[in-house]
Amino acid sequence: MTNTDVIVIGGGPAGLAAAIAAKKAGAEVLLIEREARLGGILKQCIHDGFGLVRFGEKLSGPEYAERFIQKFDEANIEALTLTFVTKIEKTPEGIRLTAVNRNGVVQLLSKALVLATGCRERTAKQIFIHGTRPSGIFTAGTAQHFINLLGQMPTKKCVILGSGDIGLIMARRITLEGGKVVGVYEAKSTPSGLTRNIYQCLYDYDIPLYLSKTVTRVFGDDRLAAVEVCSVDENMRPIEETFEIVECDSLILSVGLIPENELAENLGVELDPRTKGPVCDEHLMTSVDGVFSCGNALHVNDLVDYVSESGECAGKAAANFLRRERTEIELIIGKNVQYLIPQRLDLNAEDLKTVLYFRSREVLQKNSLILTVDGCDVYRKWFSVLRPPEMERVEFDFGPLGLTPQSQVYFRIEEVERT
Amino acid sequence: MSKYQKICKKIAQLSPEVSVKEERGCIVLRGEVDSWETAVNAGKLAAKDAQYIGVVNDIRLKGFVEHPRLPLEHDASLDEMRPDVLIIGGGITGCAIARELSKWKLNTVLVEKGPDVAYGQSRANGGVVHVGINFSKHSQKHYYNIRGNSMYAELSKQLDVPFEQKGQVLLCCKKWERLLVGALKLHGKSMGIRGVCWLGREELLKHEPCAPDFVIGGMYMPTGGITSPMEMTAALAENASANGVRLFLNTAVLDMETKNGHIVSVDTNRGRLYPKLVINAAGVYSDKIAEMAGDRTFTIHPRRGTDIITDKKAGYMVKTSMEKSPFSILPYQNSQIPRGPLGRIKFMMNILHSNTKGIGLIHSIHGNMLIGPNAIETPDREDTATRREEVEEIIKVQQHVATDLKFSDIIAYFTGVRSATYEEDFVVRRGIFTDNIIEAAGIQSPGVTAAPAIAVDISKWAVEALSSNMAVKKNDSFDPVRHAPPRLAHMNEQERNALILKNPDYGVIICRCEEISKGEILDALNSPLCVPTLDGIKRRLRPGMGRCQGGFCSPLVMQIIAEHEGIPLSEVKKSSVESVVTFGETKGAAV
Repeated sequence: MTNTDVIVIGGGPAGLAAAIAAKKAGAEVLLIEREARLGGILKQCIHDGFGLVRFGEKLSGPEYAERFIQKFDEANIEALTLTFVTKIEKTPEGIRLTAVNRNGVVQLLSKALVLATGCRERTAKQIFIHGTRPSGIFTAGTAQHFINLLGQMPTKKCVILGSGDIGLIMARRITLEGGKVVGVYEAKSTPSGLTRNIYQCLYDYDIPLYLSKTVTRVFGDDRLAAVEVCSVDENMRPIEETFEIVECDSLILSVGLIPENELAENLGVELDPRTKGPVCDEHLMTSVDGVFSCGNALHVNDLVDYVSESGECAGKAAANFLRRERTEIELIIGKNVQYLIPQRLDLNAEDLKTVLYFRSREVLQKNSLILTVDGCDVYRKWFSVLRPPEMERVEFDFGPLGLTPQSQVYFRIEEVERT
Repeated sequence: MSKYQKICKKIAQLSPEVSVKEERGCIVLRGEVDSWETAVNAGKLAAKDAQYIGVVNDIRLKGFVEHPRLPLEHDASLDEMRPDVLIIGGGITGCAIARELSKWKLNTVLVEKGPDVAYGQSRANGGVVHVGINFSKHSQKHYYNIRGNSMYAELSKQLDVPFEQKGQVLLCCKKWERLLVGALKLHGKSMGIRGVCWLGREELLKHEPCAPDFVIGGMYMPTGGITSPMEMTAALAENASANGVRLFLNTAVLDMETKNGHIVSVDTNRGRLYPKLVINAAGVYSDKIAEMAGDRTFTIHPRRGTDIITDKKAGYMVKTSMEKSPFSILPYQNSQIPRGPLGRIKFMMNILHSNTKGIGLIHSIHGNMLIGPNAIETPDREDTATRREEVEEIIKVQQHVATDLKFSDIIAYFTGVRSATYEEDFVVRRGIFTDNIIEAAGIQSPGVTAAPAIAVDISKWAVEALSSNMAVKKNDSFDPVRHAPPRLAHMNEQERNALILKNPDYGVIICRCEEISKGEILDALNSPLCVPTLDGIKRRLRPGMGRCQGGFCSPLVMQIIAEHEGIPLSEVKKSSVESVVTFGETKGAAV
């Protein structure tokens, strides 16, 4: 049985940052990764744009990952790669993990655990696409795996459903490889991906973006032959008269990501239905003492820079984890706020300086994030524009507020005069 | 007026385009109509009179042309073959017959038109091993279901296929339903179904802890079970093959030459065979095969059924397989009940005959919850496309029974086509008009349950028929046991560790949702009935059947297949030859 201070599950950007931060804080750290190499999904993200916030540079995914892998190696952190966690239990001695790899079944014990398990893509069935079962229906990430890691072309002529960032990136990638992208279809009336990607990946390549349109059905017995597209109303229901058939050999889906929290659920970690990730306090500790969450397992990020930041926060806190009572209050969200992280605040913490991540519910111009404590506005921050696809980050020190367990802490977004 | 005249009159009222004739003991319908419903209804009317052997319904639907999916392979690998027995169809029935026949020293060949066994109804199936309480006492369905059910435990053990017998539950919402359930219970008793009992709500909750609040109790039937129809079919096929039967996939029967009520030869896409005896287990095409052989006395009217699969996380909502009693009116329907007695009767009839009446909840052998199936008539025997409105309706109805069910729990859905006859019964018999055919036709639900029992009778008849011209000896080397390759996720840590030490590939997890290792995928590729495609592996081991639906693992599985088969990645297919996954290397693939 290996016994250590902190175990990090997942060797992508969140897990790497968490492991480095935990080590730096003086903990013995072990990182577990199911794939053969560290880097997570960044390995296949060969486009640039990573690290603008953190490094002020435009890096490719593998370059960004490499910076962390180097630090990870320099810090002499142990990693078990090609290792898959099959079981987690909370015991009086700590958190007990069972994993398998080429050497057999491994038993591990740690004081604290960081879950950096990333996210998975929503599938065609989850968005209720119907019809036959041909080949040629891929999630954008799988298409990216084929092209960028295996050098295989999964399509010659495709329709992309969903304007999530990976879908936009893949539209450009497929075009560059000589494939034809018939169009990107988005059921919502606004794009899901970053604005910069809409311009750089679609408009620069004359790829049409169809808003309020979706794919409802696929055709083809062997390989995909065509898809049925249609316009949708405000409630996302197909409008009968608008059905049309579009010939293509592939349907590529970029219709959302779901944080992977199956391990967290086995531990009884409480999940937030809005983020699909764990409910956390300001140290990104979940509802289970000693279990932390970060990166895309916590909530789906649009920039890797923030993934690393949350990893560092969770890693450091995991290293400093002491079994003590928490006095938590809920950070209540209201008007126009889609979600807020953290969801709770532990008043027993020494330092209440907190990084808040949030998204608005819809596109809003000239609005403010307003924090109210017991009915009094105590903080507001103005934004020229808020878009749901673009996560916002705010630092705030709750310390001076003198919060008590009875305090009502409430966040909302409202149109108010800029002060 | 004779019964025949009555039928003629009724059908004439339905459609003047349809002609009715009595031929060879069958009632034969011909003509062309505008709606498929008319064609089906005519068939149903014709089936009402039991004096005929069966209904031969050749009514065509205007504008509809059948497009059977035929394999692209064309060679002569089966040409001039002279097997003792030719089994047509590699579904669970055909494979069970093949295994049963392998107990005899016979030259047996099985052909399947699809790229794998269990490619039709047997794959699109919930896997319930039925109690069979709803069948008529005199039906073949009852005869074979009750025998098949009692064979399952032993057979599953021999073939190392998972089988659980947690029973079946019929939920009741109103006190008066207990009377009807009582009648059903008596019916069950008279048919020899054991253990059927009424459970009050408290007792019922022990079996089904998530039964909704309005359920007052239910009928518990302990003989109900659950299997994996795909694994069972593959195991039967593997065991048959190990005992000498030769199986040919991608092989379709195209025609037959018959002479004086005798099949002389059978044409396939891989050559002409001269079998002594033909067994028709061709599922939705079984009437076509019977027609080729000159032995047709029945008609398949294809009936689609859609099932929905949830994430294993939602599997707790059902423990057995349960459905509401056919008479039950759920609370949400109370407000829809009309006031007058006639309206009420009509309302009840609608409930009894709705497309979703048979839908239940099943705890699948792999721990998912399965919801379905509905029942929709279709002229297309291979219409396995799913439809939005149907899936939504199934979910909507079942949300009243599985009250926790959310749309986000659903990970997949699929449609199968049942080979229903107008008599709504199996056609398991020796040839009537052809001397060297045996029919195992029209096998739909409860075919999975019945298959082992059907196989026993058919094999007996086959041996009897062949014995008149040759000496048929027992196969002394027959081994009934088949060992399934190891499934590591189901093992304890010591067993798992020991296997990984022997073969480190068992420690490399490829499918994270279903926890399947590289070693297990290689086992499947080395199995006697290897189908080296993405679907072939998925159907045997389940990578790609979990919540990510293959998003993560399909490129990895393809790499393992390519390496094992020594082929380029672009040659690894999803299923059929034309189901290409990638078009070759990047840059080179430009249009």
